[in-house]
Amino acid sequence: MVWAVFAVLTALAALSVLVPLARAGRSRGVAEDAATAPDAAIYADQLAELERDVARGAVSGREAEAARAEIGRRLIRASQRHEPAAPPRRWRLIVAAGLAIVGLPLLAVSLYGGFGAPTLPDLPLASRQSEPMDGQNLEALLARVESHLAQNPDDGQGWAVLAPVYLRAGRYSDAAAAFSNAIRTNGATADLEAGLGEALTGDAGGVVTADARAAFERARTLDPNAIRPRFFLALALGQDGRTADAEAAWRAIIDSASGKEPWLPVARTQLATLTGSTEPPPAAAPAAPAAGAPGPDAAEVEAASEMTPEERAAMIGNMVEGLSARLAREGGTVDDWLRLVRSYVVLGRTDEARTALAAAKAAHPDAADVQRLDTTAAGLGLTE
Amino acid sequence: MMITEIGHYALVLALGLAFIQSVLPVWGAKTGDGRLMAVAEPVALATLGLVALSFAALTVAYVRSDFSLVNVFENSHSAKPMIFKISGVWGNHEGSMLLWVLILVLFSALVAIFGGRLPQTLRATVLSVQGWVTAAFLLFILMTSNPFNRMIPAPFEGQDLNPILQDIGLAIHPPLLYVGYVGVSIAFSFAIAALIEGRIDAAWARWVRPWTLAAWIFLTLGIAMGSYWAYYELGWGGWWFWDPVENASFMPWLAATALLHSAIVMEKRDALKIWTVLLAILAFSLSLLGTFLVRSGVLTSVHAFATDPTRGVFILAILVIFVGGSLALYAWRAPMLKPGGIFAPVSREGALVLNNVFLSAACATVFVGTLYPLALESVTGEKISVGAPFFNLTFVPLMIPALIAIPFGPLLAWKRADLAGVAERLAAAALAALAATAVTLWLSGATGILAALAVGLAFWLIVGSLTEPVQRAARGGGGVGPFLRRFFGLPRAAFGTALGHLGMGLTVLGIAGASGYDHERITSVVPGERIEIAGYDLTFEGSTPRQGPNFREEVARFAVTRDGLAIAEMAPTKRFYPARQMPTTEAAILTRGFSQLYVSLGDPGADGRTVVRAQFKPMVTLIWLGCVMMALGGCLSLADRRLRVGAPRPARRAEAVA
Amino acid sequence: MTRKQRRLVLIGVAGAVLMSATGLVLSALNDQIVFFRTPTELAERQVPVGDRVRMGGLVAEGSVERTGETEVRFTVTDTASTIPVTYTGILPDLFREGQGVVTEGRLGPDGVFVADTVLAKHDENYMPKEVADSLKAQGHWQEGAEAGAPGAAGQ
Repeated sequence: MVWAVFAVLTALAALSVLVPLARAGRSRGVAEDAATAPDAAIYADQLAELERDVARGAVSGREAEAARAEIGRRLIRASQRHEPAAPPRRWRLIVAAGLAIVGLPLLAVSLYGGFGAPTLPDLPLASRQSEPMDGQNLEALLARVESHLAQNPDDGQGWAVLAPVYLRAGRYSDAAAAFSNAIRTNGATADLEAGLGEALTGDAGGVVTADARAAFERARTLDPNAIRPRFFLALALGQDGRTADAEAAWRAIIDSASGKEPWLPVARTQLATLTGSTEPPPAAAPAAPAAGAPGPDAAEVEAASEMTPEERAAMIGNMVEGLSARLAREGGTVDDWLRLVRSYVVLGRTDEARTALAAAKAAHPDAADVQRLDTTAAGLGLTE
Repeated sequence: MMITEIGHYALVLALGLAFIQSVLPVWGAKTGDGRLMAVAEPVALATLGLVALSFAALTVAYVRSDFSLVNVFENSHSAKPMIFKISGVWGNHEGSMLLWVLILVLFSALVAIFGGRLPQTLRATVLSVQGWVTAAFLLFILMTSNPFNRMIPAPFEGQDLNPILQDIGLAIHPPLLYVGYVGVSIAFSFAIAALIEGRIDAAWARWVRPWTLAAWIFLTLGIAMGSYWAYYELGWGGWWFWDPVENASFMPWLAATALLHSAIVMEKRDALKIWTVLLAILAFSLSLLGTFLVRSGVLTSVHAFATDPTRGVFILAILVIFVGGSLALYAWRAPMLKPGGIFAPVSREGALVLNNVFLSAACATVFVGTLYPLALESVTGEKISVGAPFFNLTFVPLMIPALIAIPFGPLLAWKRADLAGVAERLAAAALAALAATAVTLWLSGATGILAALAVGLAFWLIVGSLTEPVQRAARGGGGVGPFLRRFFGLPRAAFGTALGHLGMGLTVLGIAGASGYDHERITSVVPGERIEIAGYDLTFEGSTPRQGPNFREEVARFAVTRDGLAIAEMAPTKRFYPARQMPTTEAAILTRGFSQLYVSLGDPGADGRTVVRAQFKPMVTLIWLGCVMMALGGCLSLADRRLRVGAPRPARRAEAVA
Repeated sequence: MTRKQRRLVLIGVAGAVLMSATGLVLSALNDQIVFFRTPTELAERQVPVGDRVRMGGLVAEGSVERTGETEVRFTVTDTASTIPVTYTGILPDLFREGQGVVTEGRLGPDGVFVADTVLAKHDENYMPKEVADSLKAQGHWQEGAEAGAPGAAGQ
């Protein structure tokens, strides 16, 4: 169907060349005369204007005389000029017609073939929003909620629904904005504040920033028993290097557990790290992924997005061990080392982070690399 | 439906037709083959049809939020109000280039339709040159900036909801400027055609003038509009920043102004031909340069929207080929043009030459100030900024003598004039200027001598530009009746000239007032506190939150009183767009006569105080009213019968466009 | 006057105007241009105290402090050095901690930069060009992290 439209357009375009080629051949005489007439008309008009000025007294007699002579000379020159009539040549006509009949469609189709998408129909939004929504169309669902919220920014319930979705999708800054909006309109709850804190932490690459900590603290005030704020606040203490406080916090968390919570192993790992114990925690997490793997594979990320934050932290801990082992054995790029350093900082294992940083600098003594390592470490709050 | 793909194909087909238009008519003109020349007009019309179809298809995609187009996805959003969906079509690089080409082919089609009184060879050559420009820019769009690129799967929401760009001023401003930029291309095509034909005369000037005048009118309005937009939208009351993007539109304006004046000499006296042709080439070169500066992303400034080096290089290539090629053609063919009439230094011609010399020199200083930082950075890597102080020291001193000379021009006779006699006729203007300076000095308590002199200059221009028509009508005596009859019997071009120059005077008066006598107070207030500025009292009544369609805002209310009398209420606001986490400032403007009070809010200060910037700008609206007046003068000149006789229909057409 | 004399007068006038234009441009280029400097260059005193310069960098986190009715203090950093800045007036809408900023003013003898103009970015994709360049030169800024079209610059 669309090719038919293209064909009609092409034909019309070609006709715009062909019709004058065919017609003008019959009216050459007129064109010949017109070549000199237009300028003569202008000079005649200039003369008439001069006469009007003289009549109005705007031009003196002597000036008028000189101007009249000047325009007259131009008029004579213009009417004397005669364009030589060129004999019509058949081959020019053939070239011109060829351009229109062959060249134009060829160029259009070949260029369009390169750029266009002739099989793709229009996809106006209105027709697509009635499409059936299946599970894979999370993005479409998000888009609907987003556009709804763009127009109704005070729909706190909407923000509260959207925010955890962002958080799970790893869109941390969007999640943080959505949690803030939900809190602004619906008022603070422990869940929302904790979500905000977690989003801010995620946005900072796992570091519990001051803003995040403030959010967790507000959440703890609202609900002293909620585990998420307590968990992250303990993590924050560790990251700040307040080891004793952090230990106490972790112990309190572990003591309050009934023993079956999924986050318990992570808490024990954290505590063990802080106390410097090298013993493996009682409930060991699954085996480390194959050494040398560049990072979590898609399935693991998928799995991670299904986990609770605590489970995720455990998985990350395992992967960090794998990365550390590989770097110690085979070495790696600056980016690999930085990943390790960052991971340790995220997990609150600052001492190991420092060791890894030193090892990284030993492996990459180049000044630019060292500076980059130092800058990033400083950005993570790691000082030597 | 496949509207998008039809639009895409139409664009490709238009490129093919542009190639044909580039070749056949000029070939016909060189060989005297009428059949080939006759191709020019229908092809120009067909190209317009195809590009218009293409533009319409893109607009439909925007209106229907078809996010399968990358361009729509990146620059639109389904929650935008309809008017901004439509203006979004040209609010981005790809769409604005398509608009550029649409206006270009529209001008070509206008020449085709209304160029019936042009010699056939000239018309064919002009349309061919237009075809070159069209082909170059269509190729640019298809190769580097194709708005019809698709993506599958299509996203469900667009990315752009930038509140700053959702503004009616920004929606109108680019099309106005583009009509001006692109309109200059017609003068260019005429100049190139004249060089190719090796023949140029007084009639040529008359054919070119209406087109140049139309382009100049739109440039004037476009620049004024952009200036006013920056003034009310950016929230701090500046109206001209010597920003490279502003300069990019200002340089073609200066060149087009010079061209308008030199074309008068050419039409009347057959003189200055070679210079006029050069000016036509330079004016369009500056238009292209402006397009390059704005579209290549070499600048980062108030209006730059695009960054992509491949585009920059492509536009630079277009620029080099057209400017270099046309200047080479000029160097080769210009010496063959016959010199025309002679004149004494003191004459109308001499005054117009003086105008041209100053305008060109002023344009050159703007050129240096705009490009020097770029050149320096690319050569030495040193980054500098050339701002208002540079232009105040270079551009302004060069414009002052040109402005002083303006009232003399229309009074001087052609060929040889009597300067003393003309000076005598300007006595009233001189008196007005002196009186205005003295009164200004007295009112302002003898401060700001320069600004007072500028006020004097403005009055010199205003009274001086009225002198010619009034004295011409007064000649012949009689009472008020005959005077009025003669006055309104004057040719429209005489009024056009007078209004154009008068508008210039008004603009100068506005500039003098707004920059020499403005008052500004930046302070912080709590409800009940008062700000005094320039005799007005602004009492802060407090602020209240308000919910807009897609933003919330804090509205601060100020009661404005003068001498205890309540005048008005002003309500500047601070908006916040939650979806984009983006704040904007909306200034409140109160117009009193030609002056304005301008109040905008800052961030909340310490302990809940509201930070306020209050400004009083005397005569500021005259800056833009003057521009409107200049454009009006241009329209009157376009309507003059002389231009209609030379090229009867183009003039009427351009009037309708204006 | 003969034809030749007339032409000489014209050329003389045009030449005089062009020469004065050139003179004006050259003298203004000497005095009126403003150089762009990074905080490091200012900290190392590469610029004489009191010279007008543009300084660009990031607004340091937590440094913005309102000290007077309309006076603001903040520090600008290029991650290597920081320079304290004072500014009296209204900050642009998008002035934020941790974001790019360009300030114009003079460095005082006490090492505090007194700005009279502050320009900020206009949308989240935009970083003032000079700032982006200088940060890139120091390797603190990755392409892609802030890529995208520069929006309208700020004032």
